Amino acid sequence: MSMGRRLPVYLLLDTSGSMSGEPIEAVRQGIKALLSDLMSEPTARETVYLSVITFSSSAQQIVPLTELMSFQEPSLDANGSTAFGDALKVLEQCMDREVVKATSTTQKGDWKPLVFIMTDGQPTDSWESVADHIKQKKLGNVIACAAGPGADENMLKKVTELVVKLNSLQPEALKAFFKWVSDSIKTTSQSVAQVAADTPIGLPKPDPNNMIIVL
Amino acid sequence: MNTEKATLKDGRTIEFVHDQPRSGTMKEVYFTPDRKSVVCFYKDPCAGSDANRLQRLQMILGAYNPTLPQSHGGAAQNDIEADYYRKLFCWPTGIVVQPRFGLVTPAYPSNFFFPTGPVWLKGEEKNGMWFIGPKNRKWFEKNQPSELGSLIQHFSLCLQIARAVARLHNAGLAHSDLSHNNVLIDPSKGMSIIIDIDSLVVEGLFPPDVLGTKGYIAPEVLSTIQLDLKDPKRKNPNARTDQHALAAFFYWYLLGRHPLDGRRIPPGNTAEEQDLLAFGSQAIFCEHPSDSSNRPEEKQYVPCSALGPLLYDLFIRAFVKSLHSPSDRPTALEWVRGFVKTWDLLIPCSNSSCLHKWFVFHNSTDIRCPFCGTRFKGTIPFLKLRAESRPGQWAMDGQLAVYNQLPIFKWHIYSRVFPSPETDRTRQAYCVFHEGKWFLVNEKLTSLTSPGGNRVPPGQAVELKDGAQIRFSQEHNGRIAEVQMIRS
Ligand SMILES: [Zn+2]
Repeated sequence: MSMGRRLPVYLLLDTSGSMSGEPIEAVRQGIKALLSDLMSEPTARETVYLSVITFSSSAQQIVPLTELMSFQEPSLDANGSTAFGDALKVLEQCMDREVVKATSTTQKGDWKPLVFIMTDGQPTDSWESVADHIKQKKLGNVIACAAGPGADENMLKKVTELVVKLNSLQPEALKAFFKWVSDSIKTTSQSVAQVAADTPIGLPKPDPNNMIIVL
Repeated sequence: MNTEKATLKDGRTIEFVHDQPRSGTMKEVYFTPDRKSVVCFYKDPCAGSDANRLQRLQMILGAYNPTLPQSHGGAAQNDIEADYYRKLFCWPTGIVVQPRFGLVTPAYPSNFFFPTGPVWLKGEEKNGMWFIGPKNRKWFEKNQPSELGSLIQHFSLCLQIARAVARLHNAGLAHSDLSHNNVLIDPSKGMSIIIDIDSLVVEGLFPPDVLGTKGYIAPEVLSTIQLDLKDPKRKNPNARTDQHALAAFFYWYLLGRHPLDGRRIPPGNTAEEQDLLAFGSQAIFCEHPSDSSNRPEEKQYVPCSALGPLLYDLFIRAFVKSLHSPSDRPTALEWVRGFVKTWDLLIPCSNSSCLHKWFVFHNSTDIRCPFCGTRFKGTIPFLKLRAESRPGQWAMDGQLAVYNQLPIFKWHIYSRVFPSPETDRTRQAYCVFHEGKWFLVNEKLTSLTSPGGNRVPPGQAVELKDGAQIRFSQEHNGRIAEVQMIRS
């Protein structure tokens, strides 16, 4: 419970063309709700740092790792293809740069980052080797969400063991997903499992009407 | 209002408002239409079929229940005691069997929710992390300082927590998960309430179903966390681990830093591994008297000795002598005594913008508020309270630092009176500073006696002068106050 340690949270969001319209608006609302939910949670306010990486034809970190109180909601546009591999590369670079390692001698290291990946389609670039790398090196607790009928959960299983599937891209489903992300962050920032190294993090049960866990 | 009916185990029914529930980690919470109670349903669908849990809940609601008089099947000696503990605990009042398994508990009193503030704050529960987290604290200091309360209110709520836990332990119960999440605090009123009573541990009868909360888990529990649940070497939450959590909460809350969270970083490849050691097998008190390796990160910090010798001793015992030997930890009752006795040393800070407003008097020529650094200038009458331990032998058993309008109660007057739920809390006398002199003004005392041996009837006063001996009462156990005037 060292107060000097941060819980970095990365959101990797698919903003390809297929997300345009209602789905991207629901994602925007989802981030808003996530933020307001976490802002009301005193432990999250102390420890959670949030970053947003979006990917379409290429990937970019649109919000660097920022403490909750200073977090500004990003503007999101959906167009282009699904550069999933690029997104994973950007994630790895950002974590490398922003996450304080436990070996730091000047500062207490950060908790293991929590990474939420959401995609609704098939990657349009090469992604396998970087996915493999992230999974092998256990760079963070990665939770991937296959959103809607076009998403490929088997592909996501190459990045992480923990995959949830959204039945649709309807606003209700995305809302439920972001609520679950928020609950997961809150649970992780409090959990005892986090003090026991390498035990899998215990996540809250997802809403069965909208989400299925694929393990 | 869309209401539904729930059926209780004892056959009663209760209505609840079926709208969006407040959701905890274990339960979903619905209000009753009058908002005086809540109906909580366990999220775990198997909760109701757990015979052990059911039996435990029945005991908690009945024989172990300090908020229910014995005449009604509870554990409170009488209605006064039951009423008193009802303010300190949010104790369940019913077991729900239909439509799902759950509990009925009183709703938290409204002062445990933030009445005003930005949208992310207004209406939220006063979880302790709002007040101990450095970022949250800073926000309140700047934007809503009235929520932070003064040191006297901090003492008041700590005392209530200590009393509540002492009551549990006295009955053979352990809370098992004391933390800022399960103790709501209202520093602005100096109040606290213990919630989530349903996971109480009855030693030897009902084992714990939680490990505790980060920051409060005892070192022996953390250092055996990897062992199998059934391994006899594994240490589980009990009254001794409650004692650790209690001390950790008091230190963290009163001094704004965790007692084990210093600059030392134990070996480990990850933050998780390092903290498992830092709060477990390699835990070291950040104010350890002879091992300075884990000092707080801040260069300037208020040491726990600023809270007076009694609380200092308790902290040293909790975090040095018995950090790794649970059986010697200060009991909740010792904390109650520590806060009650130290309360008598609180004096107001002369800096009107001091956030703590009060500090613990220390007998020196340079009296300063440790929180804001302001020097106290003036005279303080310091009363050494003596009681007749054997005929003719008067031993010191209390101290009282006097400030203007200090109230004097029966537990100051008589050596065998200790403030408890049933103690008479009417003011007996008070001290005033009037035209450059200090006086003790009698209100209710029938045999207050001046240094010259004269009775001082109610409505009259006796001056507090250096060396004066004032007998509070001629009755049995009546104390003598010996005055020392301290100039700073
Ligand atoms: Zn001060």
